[in-house]
Amino acid sequence: MPRVWFARAARRCAAVRYSNWKVTAGSGWLSLCGALSGFLCGCGNLPEPYAPPPQRPVFEAPISGVRVLTMADADAETHFVQDISPSLEANTWRWTGKRPAIRMFPGTTQKLNYTIDFAVPGATFTQTGPVTVSFFVNERLLDKIRYASPGRQRFEKAVPAEWMDANEYTILAAEIDKVWIPAKRGDKPLGFILVSLGLEQTGLEQK
Amino acid sequence: MRALVALAGAAFTATACYALGSVIAARVGVRLRRVEKFPLSFVLGASVLHLAIFAVLALHIAYKPVLWLVLAACAGLALRTGDWRLPAADETSPGLPRAIRYLFGVIAAVFTTLYLFNAWAPEISPDGASYHLGLTARYLRARGFERITTNMLASFSGGVDLLYIPAFAIGHHSAAALLHFTFLIALALMVLAYGQRIGKPLAGAAAALLVYASPVVGIDGTTAYTDVAVAAIVFAVFYWTQLWDENRDHRILIAIGLLAGYCYAAKYTAFVMIVYAIGFIIWRTRQWQPALTVVGCSLIMIAPWAIKNWIYVHNPVAPFANYWFPNPYFYVAVEKDWTATLRDYRLKNMWALPLEVTVRGLATQGLLGPVFLAAPLALLALRNREGRKLLLPCALVLLPYIANIGTRFLISSLPFLSLALALTLETLAPAVLIAVILIHAVTSWPDVMRTYCDTWVWSLHEIPFKAALRIIPEGTFLADHIDYQWARMIETDVPPGKLVFSFTGVPDAYTNREVLISYWGALNNDIGDALTMGWNKGWQPDKVWIFSVPKQKYRRLRLVQTATATIRQEQWNIHELRFFHDGAELPRRPEWRLEAWPDPWGVQRAFDNSEATRWRSWDTLRPGMWMAVDFGQDELVDQVRVELSGDEWEARMQLETMGAAGRWIPVTTHMELRKAVYSGLLRRAATYEAHLRSVDYFLIKDSDFGAKDYAEYPESWGWTRLEHAYGASLYRVNP
Repeated sequence: MPRVWFARAARRCAAVRYSNWKVTAGSGWLSLCGALSGFLCGCGNLPEPYAPPPQRPVFEAPISGVRVLTMADADAETHFVQDISPSLEANTWRWTGKRPAIRMFPGTTQKLNYTIDFAVPGATFTQTGPVTVSFFVNERLLDKIRYASPGRQRFEKAVPAEWMDANEYTILAAEIDKVWIPAKRGDKPLGFILVSLGLEQTGLEQK
Repeated sequence: MRALVALAGAAFTATACYALGSVIAARVGVRLRRVEKFPLSFVLGASVLHLAIFAVLALHIAYKPVLWLVLAACAGLALRTGDWRLPAADETSPGLPRAIRYLFGVIAAVFTTLYLFNAWAPEISPDGASYHLGLTARYLRARGFERITTNMLASFSGGVDLLYIPAFAIGHHSAAALLHFTFLIALALMVLAYGQRIGKPLAGAAAALLVYASPVVGIDGTTAYTDVAVAAIVFAVFYWTQLWDENRDHRILIAIGLLAGYCYAAKYTAFVMIVYAIGFIIWRTRQWQPALTVVGCSLIMIAPWAIKNWIYVHNPVAPFANYWFPNPYFYVAVEKDWTATLRDYRLKNMWALPLEVTVRGLATQGLLGPVFLAAPLALLALRNREGRKLLLPCALVLLPYIANIGTRFLISSLPFLSLALALTLETLAPAVLIAVILIHAVTSWPDVMRTYCDTWVWSLHEIPFKAALRIIPEGTFLADHIDYQWARMIETDVPPGKLVFSFTGVPDAYTNREVLISYWGALNNDIGDALTMGWNKGWQPDKVWIFSVPKQKYRRLRLVQTATATIRQEQWNIHELRFFHDGAELPRRPEWRLEAWPDPWGVQRAFDNSEATRWRSWDTLRPGMWMAVDFGQDELVDQVRVELSGDEWEARMQLETMGAAGRWIPVTTHMELRKAVYSGLLRRAATYEAHLRSVDYFLIKDSDFGAKDYAEYPESWGWTRLEHAYGASLYRVNP
């Protein structure tokens, strides 16, 4: 049908003569149609599926394992030593047992702070009451703090350089004096909510 | 000598335009008046000459002798036919009183002096010295068009820019600006002539001065921009339609068609004059056939540009409509950001726009002059026929202004507006009109203008006699401009043929090296993205969505995005998409087939193991975007990991697999969000990506985002700083 319309239109246009230059409108009409169909064809311009490209090399950063491990880190589990739940809750935190611990390879011992972000939940606090948390670096007591109310806590303290060896793993731990005992037998006792734990270097440029 | 060469380049090109136009005008059955002959023939000839230059560039024969030959052929044709001669003065047409003639003549002469010497001085305007002449110089070096996919500005229709090719080849940069100035003179003469033709010589002369003395017209028309030329072409279409309406000789329709098409070829936004011409002709004849002549002739002008873009960048109207014409060269998101900026110029209060474009001029880059605050009075011209004739095309030309509120985008409507305003004021009292012209002339003079507008407004400052006549050498004059120094820095330190990356523009016309500006092309965007990732934590890989899926064999898996963005800029960014089985990542085999939508061309960036690259949707986050993998065979998968950027907040995903019936079926998954950990050196990885794309040089200005990081850690980036001067550093990638 459109072909018939075009033919009729072309015949009508060709019959019209505007000047002694033999300008026919038919050419304009046909060019318009040509251009329109061309425009529509422009949409079919997509590539074939691709194969995977050559894999890029990893450019190694200067060796330094100083970091604060957040519980949501993709490699978090590889640093766990004990008493940290394998399940990540709310994409942010994990339950601990009595004495959660992680291991790190700091590569340095200079200007390091022990840093921990955690919470004493109200739900366990009702059973345990005020708790005392002790913080350890390589089994040496760094500090001990009593928390008389539930809520989010942060603890930071400089670690004496001689407590660590730059070329050895350092174990960081935190121990709660009273754990929450579940009513149901077989369930694990709960310590506190751990968000992050690690070492932070102070006074140096961080990328 | 250099000054004379510049003048010769412009004069010779302008002569060819006039000559060619006069030959055509003599054959379309209309007797032009003396005052009309030059401007109407010049613009008509320019339209046809641009086609000839287009052909020369398409054939890759843009050698100087060829360009000379084309210009000489045009001039020779007019000499042979005698059409170049001006007709005798028309004694019957009403003239201006002598006193007014002298007064207006003096004003015109003073502004002509200001303009001529500014146009003649070495060209260093922002757009002129960067892309208008940058592309001109590049085409001349290549002897023809080049496929440029790294600069979306190269895809604009460049009908006026092509006329700069012969002018530039002969007279270099200033010749182009002088040629544009010729368009300004033609425009003013057309307005003057139109006033005489409708029996309103005072209104015509006054309107011509309103246009001519306007500060934004002055600066634009004396640089290698194109807005004033576009205004001249637009007004020429209107003028020829009026001539056709008087004569009803259908041969005039050819001129109208060519000029209407040339409007599109000169600037996309001027396409409305095609609508105007067609509409006017149909309305006056009540027939559609004559309009088809206009359509056909317009297409002669439009088609070369559309076809060129189609071939080079797969989008006939590039750099716009990339959503409708998807292509790997220009991203939809960049186009959206860019057009959004043009719509508001970061002007907070749109009610301030009238004051901005007439008096202040800083935000919208130029001012029309305070007297244009009285522009609404032009509406009173609707009471008479002549006024209505003018205000209709004025309204049409103003329509695309919504898309770009820069003051110079009002220039095309200015002749219509000025004539309508002048007609109104003349009816009110001729003395008022003369007073308005005097006020306009005084308030538009650079020294006076500075007393009420911002110091940094885009406008002329002085009459640079010495620079124009090259008493001050060109290099000395240009050396005072910091942008020029950047171009020289590149020219000195970067070997020929090497690419340079920059976050902001440089005057390309003064360097032979190709400079990739971070926002003018997809490749540039990718490099800019990688570099920014090197220092900007927000753009770095930050989180990993882990989809635990039923452990079974899958042939195809697809990740579908389901959320809608709350802001336009929000995109879907995937650094890497990885598949696991029993804790081990599936090696990416060559048999895998990867697809994504939108930006199917960038899908490999999510599978390259580089944390400095990411596949981006390059369009606003919306449901239905996807990324799919065909493993080529059944693969055991129990976990899919999607690594996302820190600036990624809203994306929500679901996993699908292809069922036996060939339909995508959702996969039941357990999702977990983790924090991404990357131990590699992102800066070095970003440099590697630039290097892979043949970019080994970076011009970083001190004001660029991240400049401090590049300067403080060049070794971390793997760069060496070659030079730091004029507020910019030039770096080279270490071998």
